[in-house]
Amino acid sequence: MMIASMQGVVKRYGSNIVLDYVDLAIDEGEIIGLLGPNGAGKTTLIQTLTGMIPFEKGQVTLFGDVKAPFSNKNKEKIGLVTQEITIFEELTAKENLQFFAGVYGLKGEEKKNSVQEALEFVGLSDRANKMPKKFSGGMKRRLNIACALTHRPRFIIMDEPTVGIDPQSRNYILEAVKKLREEGTTILYTTHYMEEVQAIASRVVIMDQGQIIKEGTVDELIKTIQHEEKVKIDVTDAGQIPLNKLESVTGVKQVNVDGNQIMIISEANSGNLDRILSLIKAHAGVLGIQADKPNLEDVFLTLTGKQLRDKVGEE
Amino acid sequence: MRVISTMKFTFFRMVREYITLLLLLVVPIVLLTVFSFVLEGVTTETGEPLINEQNVIFVLVFQMFGGALAMAYIHTDFFTERKQRIYALPFNQTLYAFSIMVCGIVYSVLLGIVLMTFSEFVFGADWGNWLWAIYIIFLLALLSNIVCLIFTFSVNNFKIAERLSEVYGVGFVILAGLIFPVPGNDFFVFVNTYVNPITLAADAIYGMNQSHAGEAWFRSNILLIASGVLFIVMLILGKRKIR
Amino acid sequence: MTIFWFSLKRSFSNTTNLIFLTLFPVGAIFLPMGEVWPFLPYGYQFFGIIVLFVGIRLATIILEDRAKGVVKRLAVAPVTHFQYLTQNLLAFSIILILQSIIVIYGGVLYGHELYHPEWLLVLFISFSFTSLAVALAWISLYRSKETSFLVYMSVIFLIVFLGGLLMPIEAFPDILQRIAVIFPTYWLSEGIVWIVFGNDISEFLLINGVLWLYTIIFLVIGSVRRIN
Repeated sequence: MMIASMQGVVKRYGSNIVLDYVDLAIDEGEIIGLLGPNGAGKTTLIQTLTGMIPFEKGQVTLFGDVKAPFSNKNKEKIGLVTQEITIFEELTAKENLQFFAGVYGLKGEEKKNSVQEALEFVGLSDRANKMPKKFSGGMKRRLNIACALTHRPRFIIMDEPTVGIDPQSRNYILEAVKKLREEGTTILYTTHYMEEVQAIASRVVIMDQGQIIKEGTVDELIKTIQHEEKVKIDVTDAGQIPLNKLESVTGVKQVNVDGNQIMIISEANSGNLDRILSLIKAHAGVLGIQADKPNLEDVFLTLTGKQLRDKVGEE
Repeated sequence: MRVISTMKFTFFRMVREYITLLLLLVVPIVLLTVFSFVLEGVTTETGEPLINEQNVIFVLVFQMFGGALAMAYIHTDFFTERKQRIYALPFNQTLYAFSIMVCGIVYSVLLGIVLMTFSEFVFGADWGNWLWAIYIIFLLALLSNIVCLIFTFSVNNFKIAERLSEVYGVGFVILAGLIFPVPGNDFFVFVNTYVNPITLAADAIYGMNQSHAGEAWFRSNILLIASGVLFIVMLILGKRKIR
Repeated sequence: MTIFWFSLKRSFSNTTNLIFLTLFPVGAIFLPMGEVWPFLPYGYQFFGIIVLFVGIRLATIILEDRAKGVVKRLAVAPVTHFQYLTQNLLAFSIILILQSIIVIYGGVLYGHELYHPEWLLVLFISFSFTSLAVALAWISLYRSKETSFLVYMSVIFLIVFLGGLLMPIEAFPDILQRIAVIFPTYWLSEGIVWIVFGNDISEFLLINGVLWLYTIIFLVIGSVRRIN
């Protein structure tokens, strides 16, 4: 069943198009990893999907509801984990969860139990009555997540939930996301960390400049750029090696030298490693070889380019 | 119902703002104490202990700053990063904003009542008709909260809204001649008779205590009508900012 | 002197600071004269309050540096903490001295009777340094700019009232009159009384001496805490 979809959604800020005819479909039980450089429109997409901001064209459907997708009835089924920490610092961890549980209509024992479960889920049971002011960054992030889980939503949107925290907390959060997936919750997860997406996403969507430029599973995306192979060879003296001869080997696309390491990019399956090694061994000693397979980061950089994108206030 | 469930937590947030408690409770208590020592035995022209007037004025002056908390919470919840979470919640955001305003007014009135109780039972200040005094304090708290929210909704920069709310409070304190005497010309007399919330509220309380009920009601009705008119202004401005 | 110039620039970059540093002092010139009390026009009686507020507004620039971690950067730069502190304080002092000059000579031009403007200037300058030193000691207790300012506002309220700047000290009960001497505002108030009525210069020197003593004590407290 389709939990959420966007069809031809356009969002402008003045003359700046932030979402450019975006089409996105999210099926129940999926974890969608939404990747994109700064300014790609990820947070605007989330805000449009949750009805926080209006859009100029297109359609958003939530839980099959086209006419009133952002009704309170649908909002009850969504949990939003914001990029910034948006908890109440003047309330204890437990009070924060009680606040949100109350807003989502939970009462009495059900509310009490769900608050307790949410605290246990994020590992904050022993800090239930403490103020978030005294929490570490990782603990605040976990509480930030717990606030979106108290009402057991069907669809959770997580906007860069692991920004700026230690590896232990990050790992804890990823394990929690996997647990949610096992429980059948649908998750839309945005992040800059490729390894997170590789670890948890069932499908990856890559966005840039307000458009979805590629989507698929991790393997499908890697195959799209698997037309290159990268080999790094450590040698005794790179200065001795005739680089022009290396570049003229069949299948070699690019040769880069960094100190005594030579990086050779060749077409996929060109089978030229033998010839490359023979050429190098004739002029210098080989200390080590490393063959890199493309990963999601390579896909991302290939599709979106390697230039820095310093767009202030992306969304 | 869901919005009502949040009011308890809004109240917790307010009560735990220790700086606000310091400024709106501890400082007035200390000042009331000092003034009560200084003015012991001093009477007005009519023979009333001056301490009665001073206590009324002090409590009313601090009500002028009672809108600060509500405006801070409205700003944080609707105009900073937290707005994403608030707008994703399944309740009426406008009602939630109202609930914050209501909590701010109730909190301000409660602090006023604490100060009233302190001044009457510790220093023997006579507030006269307590219900009437609480009603006037309520009107002043209502007006101050509405004015502060108008500032919040009408300027983009929250710091400017805060400064404007301080100008509102301090400005009327100065106009009332509480820091230094103001000229006795028509303008200042008019302002202090019909416009200045502090003098209107104070005269309403004195009037009722001196059995000039008609005048007391007249002054309080000016506060009530001003609150009503400004409430509509606040609604119009707020609707544009809060869906 | 980089820190000094930037301190001057930063002092005026904030709108609230600009109002405190320019509008309020100039506005003080135009306040009326009291009938019986105070003995100088209200603006000069209350200028001490403005100086206290200006002192804390300026000193919180240092607090901001601490809160934002800028002092960590400076700690590894070829600048000693002493240079950092002195250049900032020099900038703040110049601002306060200029304010005092404008207020006093503005008042003379406006036609106020200030009795001995030059001694009044000396008094205000002494009090300005006291205010800066107290503010410096105050901010050493805090990490948050807003909290320190708000709590200081309450303290200003109290020391201004108890020191006799808002009401004549003679109206206070005995015990409060005795307590008043511990507040710097009492000495400012006494200094103003001397300007109007006094003739023995040694009294005026004593008043300024006490203000400078406060300055030294609070400066030491504020600097030592930071070094620790």
